[in-house]
Amino acid sequence: MLDIIQYPFMQRAIIAGITLGILLALLGIFVVLKRMSFFSSGIAHASLAGVAIGIILSLNPLLTALLLSIIFAIIIYLVEEHYHITSDTTIGIIFTSGMALGVLLISLQNDYQPELISFLFGNILSISQNELWLIVGLSIIISIFVISYLKPLTLIALDKETAQVNGVPVKKLQPALYISLAIAVVLGIKVLGIILVSALLIIPIATSKLIAKSFKKLVVCSIILSEITVISGIIFSYYLDLPTGPTIVLIGTLIFIFTMIYKALKK
Amino acid sequence: MKKTIIHTENLSVSFDKNEVLRNININIKQGEIVAIIGPNGSGKSTLLKAILGLIPYQGKITIFDQPITKITDKIGYVPQKFEFDKTFPLTIREFLEISEKNVTNKEINHALNEAEMSAHQKQLIGQLSGGQLQRILIARAILKQPEILFLDEPTTGIDIEGEMDFYQMIKHQNEYHKVTVIMISHEISMVYKHASQIICLNRDLICMGKPKQAITKEVLKKLYGDDVDLMHHEH
Repeated sequence: MLDIIQYPFMQRAIIAGITLGILLALLGIFVVLKRMSFFSSGIAHASLAGVAIGIILSLNPLLTALLLSIIFAIIIYLVEEHYHITSDTTIGIIFTSGMALGVLLISLQNDYQPELISFLFGNILSISQNELWLIVGLSIIISIFVISYLKPLTLIALDKETAQVNGVPVKKLQPALYISLAIAVVLGIKVLGIILVSALLIIPIATSKLIAKSFKKLVVCSIILSEITVISGIIFSYYLDLPTGPTIVLIGTLIFIFTMIYKALKK
Repeated sequence: MKKTIIHTENLSVSFDKNEVLRNININIKQGEIVAIIGPNGSGKSTLLKAILGLIPYQGKITIFDQPITKITDKIGYVPQKFEFDKTFPLTIREFLEISEKNVTNKEINHALNEAEMSAHQKQLIGQLSGGQLQRILIARAILKQPEILFLDEPTTGIDIEGEMDFYQMIKHQNEYHKVTVIMISHEISMVYKHASQIICLNRDLICMGKPKQAITKEVLKKLYGDDVDLMHHEH
């Protein structure tokens, strides 16, 4: 069993998985509460343009995707605030045009792009040392931000008007949440890929909602379930020689289904 | 002489060149229960939101001679719509804890007592009835013991019994805690019964004063058209 942690690439995978497990669970609470799953999915898909720009310019695609996703998050926030256009519409435009730009740019490259496939479907085993530092560093900063502002962020997600009347700095915290979520989504892409990253933002929280009897328990339970899902996904995929991202998502889904059955039987 | 605590001067609000409120000049005095009435789309919620600093406006608004951003501690607000994921696990106590910064246990206990909801504090907000949820929203609004309470159509969607309880709570806040209450209402009969001042809006300010004097046949015609008339009940 211990052979799994002998290899440096597995050590990096486990550290990245644990860190992202906490980050995505924390932010997932707001994704579920504020019904922002389309936001995370949209940012993930649109970040393909950033990945493509990175590949073409021979820069780290994770960095270029991060930068572009931050720009997208700011655009979504500004359009939502200043124009009578629903955020769904803005996200839909960014989702499709970002993806289209990504595909277009990649088609200009003649050779096979293994990096692209790892971004599309995730490859936690391909995380470099520098990427690990980036993932851990940004995850710590964002997690500290979310924990420090957990109450006002929850109030904004629940009732933005009252938050504003009560003196919560909504115009600073809301864009900060959007940017944090965009960064977390792109970091999560390294593990789960563009297509599956939203799963870790939603499934552990959806499962926790079935069993938690308070908000505090929901937060703790979401983090624990997210960690169980990620770590067992990495271990199973290693020993069964399966792709890591889909294994993590399917384990999360199985936990959700069993919890639902357990709850139904308990009634 | 009661002190003026809310003052608006030439207050106008437009959305996409559509003028929703036009040159509204009002003075609200401390200790009043003020009802804002008017037909749908008359600018009632817009007026409330402008006073609360939630939307941009032209003109001048002061509360206690200051802009609202400086005095948020003196304000309590119950929004018209409070829609949320009913399956989200948030207890009533947690709901109150997240609603105000630096709120103490004593303040939460006091607000729950005032709303007669202490026994329910561990219950999830998604499990509350319409009337109970309204009580909790009022408990949240009075957490910091505000001097002014703003209520946007507070009795929408609650039954008659819940409505009676609600008005009793408001009266209690006004008479016992000296809270000034400003509420939007659709029910003229309730306004007659409970409000001490009335503001009638239909884009322009149509009337302002004590309900029995301010609501005349002409005013009702300006607000709701020819089909609406006033019937007095003596009980």
